[in-house]
Amino acid sequence: MSLPLKNTIGYRIVCDWLASLQRQPFLFQQQTWQHIINGQSGLVNAPTGCGKTYSVFFGALIQFINEHQKDYRNKKNSGLQLVWITPLRALAKDIAKAMEEVISGLEMKWKVGIRNGDTNTTERARQKKQMPEVLIITPESLHLLLAQKGYKEIFLSLKIIAVDEWHELLGSKRGVQVELAISRIVGSRLTSDNSRPMIWGISATIGNLEEAKIVLINPLKSEGVIVKAEMKKTVEVESIFPDEIEKYPWAGHLGIKLVHKVLPIIQQSKTTLIFINTRGMSETWYQKILDACPELAGAIALHHGSVDMELRNWVEENLHSGKLKAVVCTASLDLGVDFRPVETVIQVGSPKGVARFLQRAGRSGHSFDAVSKIYFLPTHSLELMEAAALKKAIAENVIESRAPMLLCYDVLIQYLSTLAVSDGFDPGKIFQEIITTHCYKEMTEEEWNRILHFISSGGNALQQYDDYKKMEWEDELFKIKNRRIAMRHRMNIGTIVSESMLKVKFISGGYVGVIEEYFISRLQPGDVFTLAGRNLEFITIKDMTALVKKSSSKKSIVPSWQGGRMPLSANLGFMLRKTLNEISSNLSLETGNGELLSLLPLFELQQQISHVPKENELLIEQIETDDGFHLFVYPFEGRLVHEAMAAILAYRISRITPITFSFAMNDYGFELLSDQPIPVDDSNVYELFSPENLLEDIQRSANSTEMAKRKFRDIAVIGGLIFQGFPGEQKKARHLQNSASLLFNVLSEYEPDNMLLRQSFSEVMEQQMEEARLRDMLNRIQESKIVITFPQQLTPFCFPVKVDSMREDLSSEKLEDRIKKMIPQS
Amino acid sequence: MQQPLKHIIHKNTFWLSADRCMYWEEEKALIVADLHFGKTGHFRKSGIAVPQAVYKEDLQRLVNQLQHFQPKKLIIVGDMFHSEANKELDLFQKWRNDFSTLDIHLVKGNHDILHDEWYQKCEIEIHQQEWIVHDFCFCHDLTDTPLPTHHSRLYSFTGHIHPAIHLSGMGKQSLRFPCFYFAKKFAVLPAFSRFTGTHLIDPEKDELVFAIAEEKIIRVA
Repeated sequence: MSLPLKNTIGYRIVCDWLASLQRQPFLFQQQTWQHIINGQSGLVNAPTGCGKTYSVFFGALIQFINEHQKDYRNKKNSGLQLVWITPLRALAKDIAKAMEEVISGLEMKWKVGIRNGDTNTTERARQKKQMPEVLIITPESLHLLLAQKGYKEIFLSLKIIAVDEWHELLGSKRGVQVELAISRIVGSRLTSDNSRPMIWGISATIGNLEEAKIVLINPLKSEGVIVKAEMKKTVEVESIFPDEIEKYPWAGHLGIKLVHKVLPIIQQSKTTLIFINTRGMSETWYQKILDACPELAGAIALHHGSVDMELRNWVEENLHSGKLKAVVCTASLDLGVDFRPVETVIQVGSPKGVARFLQRAGRSGHSFDAVSKIYFLPTHSLELMEAAALKKAIAENVIESRAPMLLCYDVLIQYLSTLAVSDGFDPGKIFQEIITTHCYKEMTEEEWNRILHFISSGGNALQQYDDYKKMEWEDELFKIKNRRIAMRHRMNIGTIVSESMLKVKFISGGYVGVIEEYFISRLQPGDVFTLAGRNLEFITIKDMTALVKKSSSKKSIVPSWQGGRMPLSANLGFMLRKTLNEISSNLSLETGNGELLSLLPLFELQQQISHVPKENELLIEQIETDDGFHLFVYPFEGRLVHEAMAAILAYRISRITPITFSFAMNDYGFELLSDQPIPVDDSNVYELFSPENLLEDIQRSANSTEMAKRKFRDIAVIGGLIFQGFPGEQKKARHLQNSASLLFNVLSEYEPDNMLLRQSFSEVMEQQMEEARLRDMLNRIQESKIVITFPQQLTPFCFPVKVDSMREDLSSEKLEDRIKKMIPQS
Repeated sequence: MQQPLKHIIHKNTFWLSADRCMYWEEEKALIVADLHFGKTGHFRKSGIAVPQAVYKEDLQRLVNQLQHFQPKKLIIVGDMFHSEANKELDLFQKWRNDFSTLDIHLVKGNHDILHDEWYQKCEIEIHQQEWIVHDFCFCHDLTDTPLPTHHSRLYSFTGHIHPAIHLSGMGKQSLRFPCFYFAKKFAVLPAFSRFTGTHLIDPEKDELVFAIAEEKIIRVA
């Protein structure tokens, strides 16, 4: 591509400044700048830590300088030029600092502002008076801006909307919020002066970059471009082997035993990040590392979502300055600016996906030629197989896609309320805007009218005995005029629905972090629990705060946070099956890699008492124990698909004979357990796994209702049906509190066509059950050989499923019979 | 709908209905707890669109029970109305006129915050903490109302907690049902309203629990 860019004054000024720092722009940055000068929109694909921020930010500067050649240095208060959307509040400060350095280096007068939940009211007021040139903002805060009267003015001068870490937002409802906000900004600009801002996404590598671009810039109705940074980092994966392979693996059992193998890695490396999948386990790991190596005290820290924000900031700062030897963290450190001193990353337990694993590996080794080194530490021995599969996936560049969400009525309802709170909205006009987004492009006018009906009249009601009030119709606009309703709406803007959390404070003062109410409610005063790496004695709850004091007790309870557990990705599942194939066809194996070789004793036992499935086989094990009759199935498709399949299978079996099951599943397989023999054999097994009538069977399996109920909670909060309450308002709002499951039951019975209710079912289908993936799996199984074995004892494969159980219910028996059956045992 | 189940306390006969209420034969009184009338209206007034049909159905169910048992009295052990007055309560007033001969006794619960005039207008007799009839005491929340010691024979009927029972069996099956809960000195009634959550109880060995499952009443403990 020829770059007329190079003839512009802005380009020369930026390059001169970079040269004064002995730096040069990368090709992908220059390409982005050229596109920006041309007025193009698109997506920059670059890994963290190679100047992706500069690609779009400098583009905005160059364009500004070119347009104000004479006075670009002195020009003040130019109005908002660049909106920088970032998924993480914690990122804002670092990005702002980097931008400010550049601005002062170029001796310009641009201001950088931050707008998120932490921004104080003085700063907000100042921004309202005079917007900074650059506004760094979260999707939630952007919607809060749209809830301000006269918001359209703010965007009149805007040149670029940049969305950082778009791959993280895409595929979530926060991504939908971004789509909607963009549609409004673009729409309001078209109305006011028929101009449009540019839209630029910045994304790490995912499987569907082209789609990611389209989703982002759809409202512009233009093609857009993708700029790729051609930098390939070498990733080196090394497994940490246990001294002895346990033949009966179970999750969580092994990991912590390997602490002593982690210590030398920490000691030999400048700074190490240790990624743990759950907050609870990260607390445990932090303690165990300290127990095993007390001299690390002060040089090791803990970082997860429930740790106090200030403490997290402290950890991040000390990561930057290299003062910390190791940080035990969760996904909370997945995103964000680079911590240069980090040399080594340890992943504890399955990373669940190739992209995530690569991203974490990329946290180490930042110079462009440096190798990213990541250690994989299994939490049970079977996970070593995942290490082998991951290596293979990295070699073959098998990276997951992020599917964008479609037709999220809850987010739309929230968005419409947001517009109604500020300036009101004209339904005809907003409909035209909304259908320019990728999320709602398939929405029909009928659905739109139903949504309008829902928000204006509140669904089914008893006419003269109703005083439903939310939106009012005034001057051809829908508006929310009631101040309390408006305030409540503002407080509830956002799509991240958290469990009910309590603050944890020392009785002597000082804030420790937050913890789930559910966990605290089970504690007795005097109980000791661990949070943020400290042992705390629970004293009492006062004003939504758990008061604690320090405890020297050695025994403490580690809270289990109920965060969503990621399922194994389809790509990793596919690689796992391939790996298994390698083992199965090579059981006497003398070749092969270290992981598989070390697992040999386990696989030999598995083969001896049952079977090791090949790539084209599905293994089913039937085992009888004191608990009852078990049926284990191993499709390696991730826990959510397994959960769905278990429900469908249970339903299909229950049509053969009245039978009650409970389910358990992990990422490798699932279990049906019953108190009577399970009638599955060669004669019916292909039929039971048939893709025919899949949809109907999902709907009929009682389980989809249970799953929808769980989804419904978030949807109801986002859609404004459940009011979460806000600090200080707790008591007054009590009569407005409601449980999601109650509301779900009531709606199912009295308003079954409610749109939010229907949405919870469709989300279950598309995301939870992953219907498409389920169908692929069943088709694959139809073409596979199904191997049914009848082991006399539990097998290495079934053991982790058995232990890591999560029960679901399904019954085709008459309820009454079932209760009677339960009574003598309960 | 299954026939009501007979239960005897202090030689008095109480009929437990799967419609979440009980009939006291000797006093010709229908006893209910936690009606939460006006709850849907309270939500709707605040812009939260819950379906009103559940309120209508609750009222209708109460009518059916009154017609079935033909009681002289209706005893409500608290939380008759959910919150402040709203239009839904107008529907209740209209309903009240159709049952003008019925004596209504309300032992106030934590939700019953309407003005006294309102209750007067609807001819509802108010009892602040408790109401004692022969050997029986009616109150809303047992923990708020310590049993007077000189009334050692006194048996209390209460509500407030919206009791439910958890049943589990082999294969780790687990189900949850609203229930009547009879302890030695007191009973807790299920919440009459279907627009209410439930709270799991953990009965002692010698206590009785009747689960309400799909329009049936089943003794489970």
